[in-house]
Amino acid sequence: MRLLIFQTNLIFMKASFYRFLQTAFLGAVLLLWSLHASAQDRRVTGKITGADGAVPGANIVLKGTQTGTSSDASGSFSINVRGSSPVLVISAIGFKTQEVNVGNQSNLDVRLEDEATALSEVVVTGYSTENRRDVTGAVSTVKPAQLKVVPSTNVEQQLQGRVAGVTVITNGQPGTSSQVRVRGFGSFGGNQPLYVVDGVPTQTIAFLAPDDIESTTVLKDAASASIYGARAASGVIVITTRKGQRRAQKLSVSYDGLYGATDPGKSLPILNPQEQADWTWQARKNDIYQGTYPTNDFKGLAGGQYGEGATPVLPDYLLVGSRSGLSASQVDLTAEAAKYNVNPANGAIYNVIPSNKAGTNWYKEITRVAPLMRHNIGFSGGTESSRYYVALGMQQQAGIVLYNDYTRYTLRANTEFDITKKLRFGENFQLAYVKTKGLLGGVGSTLGNSTNNNSSSSSDENEVLSAYRMPPIIPVYNSFGGYAGTAAPGFNNPRNPVADRQARQNDSRFNIFGFGNAYLEYDVIPSLTLRSSLGGTFVSTYYNSYGRVQYENSENNTTYTYNEGAGYALAWTFTNTAHFKQKFGIHDIDALAGIEALNTGLGRNIDGSGQNPFSTDPNYVTISTTTPGATRGVGSGYSLGNKFYSLFGQVRYTFNDKYIITGVVRRDGSSQFAAANRYGVFPAVSAAWRLSSEEFMKNLPWVSDLKVRGGYGTMGNSNFLNATNQFSLYAGGAGQGYDINGTNNSIAAGFYRSQIGNPGAKWETNVTSNIGIDGAFFNNKLEVVLDFWRRDTKDLLYQLALPGVVGVRSGAPFKNLASMRNEGIDILVTNRGNINSDLSYEVTAIAGFLNNKIVAIDPLVPYFYGGGTRLSGNVVRNEPGHDLSSFYGYKVIGLFNSKEEVAAAPQQDGAGPGRFRYADTNGDGKITADDRQYLGSPIPKMTGSITLTLKYKGFDLNTNLYTSLGNKIFNNQRWFTDFYPSFTGAAMGARVKDSWLPTHTNTTVPIFESASNFSTNTQPNSYYVENGSYARMQYLTLGYTFPSTILNKINMNRLRISLSATNLFTITKYTGMDPGVGGSADTNFGIDVGNYPVQRGYNVGLSFGF
Amino acid sequence: MKTLITKGTLTATLLMAVSFACTDKFLEVPATGQLSGAQLTTKAGLDGLLMGAYAQLNARGFSQSASSFNWVRGSVSGGEANKGSNSGDFNALTPYETYQLLPSSGEVNAKWNAMYEGIARCNSVLRSLGSAGSDVTAAQKTGLQAEARFLRGHYYFELKRNFNMVPFIDETVDYGTGIEKVANNADIWPKIEADFKFAQDNLPATQSSVGRANKWAAMAYLAKTYLYEKKYTEAKALFDQVIANGVTSNGLKYALLANYSDNFNAAKDNGSESVFAIQAAANAGSSDNANPDLVLNFPYNTGSNGPAGCCGFFAPSFELANSFRVDAKGLPLLDGSYNTGANQLKTDQGIASSAAFTPDAGPVDPRLDWSIGRRGIQYLDWQPHPGLDWIRDQSFAGPYSPKKFVFYKSQDKVLTDGSSWTDGYSAINYNIIRFADVLLMAAECEVEVGSLATATNYVNLVRTRAANPAGFVIQNGKPAANYVISNYATFADKATARAAVQFERKLELSGEGHRFYDLVRWGTAATVLNAFLAYESKLLPTAYSGGKFTAGKDEYQPIPQTQIDYQGKDVLTQNPGY
Repeated sequence: MRLLIFQTNLIFMKASFYRFLQTAFLGAVLLLWSLHASAQDRRVTGKITGADGAVPGANIVLKGTQTGTSSDASGSFSINVRGSSPVLVISAIGFKTQEVNVGNQSNLDVRLEDEATALSEVVVTGYSTENRRDVTGAVSTVKPAQLKVVPSTNVEQQLQGRVAGVTVITNGQPGTSSQVRVRGFGSFGGNQPLYVVDGVPTQTIAFLAPDDIESTTVLKDAASASIYGARAASGVIVITTRKGQRRAQKLSVSYDGLYGATDPGKSLPILNPQEQADWTWQARKNDIYQGTYPTNDFKGLAGGQYGEGATPVLPDYLLVGSRSGLSASQVDLTAEAAKYNVNPANGAIYNVIPSNKAGTNWYKEITRVAPLMRHNIGFSGGTESSRYYVALGMQQQAGIVLYNDYTRYTLRANTEFDITKKLRFGENFQLAYVKTKGLLGGVGSTLGNSTNNNSSSSSDENEVLSAYRMPPIIPVYNSFGGYAGTAAPGFNNPRNPVADRQARQNDSRFNIFGFGNAYLEYDVIPSLTLRSSLGGTFVSTYYNSYGRVQYENSENNTTYTYNEGAGYALAWTFTNTAHFKQKFGIHDIDALAGIEALNTGLGRNIDGSGQNPFSTDPNYVTISTTTPGATRGVGSGYSLGNKFYSLFGQVRYTFNDKYIITGVVRRDGSSQFAAANRYGVFPAVSAAWRLSSEEFMKNLPWVSDLKVRGGYGTMGNSNFLNATNQFSLYAGGAGQGYDINGTNNSIAAGFYRSQIGNPGAKWETNVTSNIGIDGAFFNNKLEVVLDFWRRDTKDLLYQLALPGVVGVRSGAPFKNLASMRNEGIDILVTNRGNINSDLSYEVTAIAGFLNNKIVAIDPLVPYFYGGGTRLSGNVVRNEPGHDLSSFYGYKVIGLFNSKEEVAAAPQQDGAGPGRFRYADTNGDGKITADDRQYLGSPIPKMTGSITLTLKYKGFDLNTNLYTSLGNKIFNNQRWFTDFYPSFTGAAMGARVKDSWLPTHTNTTVPIFESASNFSTNTQPNSYYVENGSYARMQYLTLGYTFPSTILNKINMNRLRISLSATNLFTITKYTGMDPGVGGSADTNFGIDVGNYPVQRGYNVGLSFGF
Repeated sequence: MKTLITKGTLTATLLMAVSFACTDKFLEVPATGQLSGAQLTTKAGLDGLLMGAYAQLNARGFSQSASSFNWVRGSVSGGEANKGSNSGDFNALTPYETYQLLPSSGEVNAKWNAMYEGIARCNSVLRSLGSAGSDVTAAQKTGLQAEARFLRGHYYFELKRNFNMVPFIDETVDYGTGIEKVANNADIWPKIEADFKFAQDNLPATQSSVGRANKWAAMAYLAKTYLYEKKYTEAKALFDQVIANGVTSNGLKYALLANYSDNFNAAKDNGSESVFAIQAAANAGSSDNANPDLVLNFPYNTGSNGPAGCCGFFAPSFELANSFRVDAKGLPLLDGSYNTGANQLKTDQGIASSAAFTPDAGPVDPRLDWSIGRRGIQYLDWQPHPGLDWIRDQSFAGPYSPKKFVFYKSQDKVLTDGSSWTDGYSAINYNIIRFADVLLMAAECEVEVGSLATATNYVNLVRTRAANPAGFVIQNGKPAANYVISNYATFADKATARAAVQFERKLELSGEGHRFYDLVRWGTAATVLNAFLAYESKLLPTAYSGGKFTAGKDEYQPIPQTQIDYQGKDVLTQNPGY
């Protein structure tokens, strides 16, 4: 790794290579505006300083020309000016841009004002840009530097813990999406926020390179977000990418790079081979104790692998042909080599599997130290009448699980130039190539309006879970280099996860994203600008996968299958706005009106599959080379997308910089609704009062700025609504036909009612109210942003389950039949200052408190379930008065300690010593379904973080501690690891060593026995529910920025190196791998079935500019 | 300022113009890849809806326990087999063998939903007939109507015998027109009779497609309905006609196949014994066409030496295996003594595959080795059953494997569907009614209201076929076990006849999903099943722990709690005892 850094470094240092790149870009990207030389007049010199001394690298441009220069290491500059009243425009990163009248001076000393305070920042809201001072809604911003420090592929993962009120539940698999929720859960689904990138709405930001991001703004309430109308109810995350600046300047080049690795960490504790054998014997003893095994012997245990004696004996061979449980003396390996066969084509399988008495660490076998690198090179520049930013990025990230890889290449080209003085043309364009290999679970959807964007990697029997189910006595490989596995009897059905991973190493998925927009802006008069933008996303997808013939497992796939497919999708948005901005004395008016039409994504896809090609060499396998005939299948899909047509307007009036009032209204029409309810109107108002501008506050000098603001409004939502909800439909397909002619291999087409339509469905409405304070104190050293908010969703759309008599294969219609309330507090506190002239600090603490409740569901149906697992009965119940996705089941009040206790307790099926004792909630002396109760909620009550930055001379230290508190996790892994009968013979977790015995009753872990009943492992109960609170140090970064005196000598203006560790430690009581547990739907999440864990990583970073 | 106003007005006007130019048409987006009801009123469209109604017979998309095969409720609850596998795997089925079903059981709900899905599809055909296109003739309409009502009759028959009191939904009510208000307060036997009667009167004797129900299937099913209602006279009259004149939809005269095992062989589907079958097809684009309800019912961990390799479910019971013991003359031990002493079949329970074992040498009915896979006996054309190696957890499931509805090695990947995780998806038809079943049902009627001689004759027809030596399991060139079978002399009295006929049903139709319903309609369920539990739970204590059949309650499954929640307690009344 380190060698690579130096090599890369050297390459980029080479001027020739740089010139090559520059030439290539200037030649290739036609939209770049060329630089012009200009005439020169008289010379002005000067020095630029800031609060901390000289400002090197500041840009100095003669206003109205393309003449410019930049300051040197000591902040000095010289520039030729001309004209009668020349004005210099001076700008530098981190400072406010200043204009200076030169007059007839020939020497200028300019002091720049810091632009670091959050309250003075510019807030980009997509349709417009406003100063933070004037914002009346609930808006948060994230600095790009904060995002970049997290070495993730996905910008949404980097948002975790950045914004009060935004919850991000993610996983460690690169290339998957996360559950991002802004201010709770307003609906039963479709709660993903709307992303707006450079003014173009999108459902995914997977194509974005973090280094290209200039600003990230989160609009959290109706007052700020309802300008986006129907798709904004779950919040809007507005992202702009780097643009270059409109001023005369030379081309600047920046490079940002990150190299590192993620450590897979340690496996959860598993019983070693001897312990597993011993506990198998203990299970029999317990069965005898319970009376479930009639005789006092050890027959028939673990397929006879450990013998039948009073104590188990570990065998030397687990399987030799059809023999098992053998000692070394019973096996002649030379003779067996001749019989060995693992190719079904050559006859019956004859496997020879030795035992691994030391124990195979399956987690270690399926994981690796996973390398990561990210490079981004950006070129930016501009003139008075143009600007551009072009960047090339690449990221390669390996997952900690074998053969799970992610690669992304990006090209971004943002340009803008004046056609005439009043007419501008611009475009923002992104091309991204994203490749994933060996993905576990789903990826979330890329386009559309009713997607949930949750990763489904935590699913039943994925390889992460297999690693905890695979008995350690089984080696990875057999005696002759083939695979070992549960074909050896007695170990149940886990599949060799290493074999599974190796089989998937060629499974790949490629996406090519084209994303962006082109726009025209026309200044009718200086204060009125018309803008027309056409933007969209185009995605082209290709994927394939190989399924091998297995022989090593107890349950094998015996057919080789090959699948591949491809598709495209296109989403587009056409926006036209008029923006008026004018100050009349102490009256400031800002008005925006617009019209927008969009399609959330239309497209087609096709996929096919085939079986048993002549050769399984991946270079040979195509669908064409699979066996012809009925076993080849093909399918395709077609979508027209959802269309929206909207009108919107916003007016802000500011009086004397003290009183601000904003009104916004949007009228949306959506193709998802039938004509009668197609349009919805969603208004919002907000107001703010800047107290600090009042006379009576002037004598409180410690108050730098203080604003009170409040907003109220409504937003529509139709995200969760099926695109065709208004229609009653019929469907067919291969799975609905019938072999009416008795052919044994073909079917006649069959149809059934696939959906019952509801033309009466109407918009979901979110009513939000927000009261907040923005304050800056002690000369901006302390900043506080505080919001109290409430969001009420009414007419909530949900597919209420159909009564069986209707025919439940029909999709139920979405109806407006529920309501939900989310309320909370968002807090941001920043304190910054200088301890001495060399040492400065900044601490930011954010916290979001959330209270979610389902308020009502259709009175006909009191609740609905979710969360299917291998337990009988659902583990989640959604009911008014409770959190969304609340866990539900029996409350374990302890374990029965004796038969007497069982007899004296309320009647409970399957009760016995050492088994669960459930609470008799209703006190009727009998444990029935009525005794189930709510066991906790997966929704954190509070999420927050503390970010600390220390700067000492050129050094900077950054760290972030993230915490998520008050949520519960349903640890479904326990069903697999803690109970002998769940899959008898599979690996067991070390927790069973603490299990109940007549001699060990002071425990919560139930007796280890073979009975599987109501009182053991079949019911959802509180044993599985764990405290999911955690705190995690997300990163600790030490950086060093080289002083400009050195850099100037090598013609650089920025050089920073950094070292960081990510996810350094996690403080939690949770016993699973990772307390960050999402789910595939908001109505059932927080169930851990083997989540892909987020683990510790180490990185070095390098960035420079010239 | 003036310019500002002018230009502002101009802009606003332009915006307005654009907005009104954009009509509602933009927001009209049709559905893709699906059809509207109006597109299904042609002959082909209506037939497609009917195919959808047939397709639901195997309860695809629901659960193994929901299928019309009823291997869970009919056979496992009937004591012919246990759930199998191990105690943890799919243990939502375990309550079916211990009679501990709860109203909250998802499996119970699945059966309810699957059968009503079938009914909804039949009603969809019947409703659409009202708007049939001009290309549909009156005769075709009647034919479609009769087939749809036959299938509806079947689905209601299933609901009736599983749940007893259920709401009857016909084509006149639907979602939005009060469907959820139809109560389960009336006995629906008359409605079922009416559906089968209509089908019998309007279906042709032969059909263009062998899978379609014909007149004779409808008559047999109507007779079966009468039998369940104990209307023996009405039933006998119909069975007489079916036996005398019935033909299959492809025109074969109803007759027993020469070999018993051909009833469970995909290559022999739709023979003369098939009165009405679920047509299965492999490699037809979806494993849902290939007995998805039976996919778990194969020996476990067979590797390539045996079929499918998963999952060890549906293990035949000790009690059933013992039932095949015959006396020296080849007649079954009707006194129940097969469960005692040396009469019990010798098993390899607790014996490793590597340890020596000699199978039982005593006399047994030859159907034993087509019904039960046991150690040492040739398993179809695979190999002799190795015992423990093919059993997932002997202490939970016992020593036996299912054998009916298992595909042959020679059929692997040809008559099985390898597109999924297992080869266990096969093309073997399940006969909802086969001719042997008809003969034995007719025999019951003869015992009650006809002639004991005819009853004996019917039973002996079935036994004669079983006695065909060409149909025995052959191993090393000779019968795999000591097969002895002979015919009954004419039954002496009604009681003997009843016992013999009932026992013959057990032997002939084991593992085919009938037993539990038979016991319930004979009124012997509590006695027989509690005796079964007493015997079997000693051998498999873990599996049968807590098992107890409560008379007056366990004859029927509970009305699913979910449905009561959805429709209200005032609409759906729970069955007694739950």
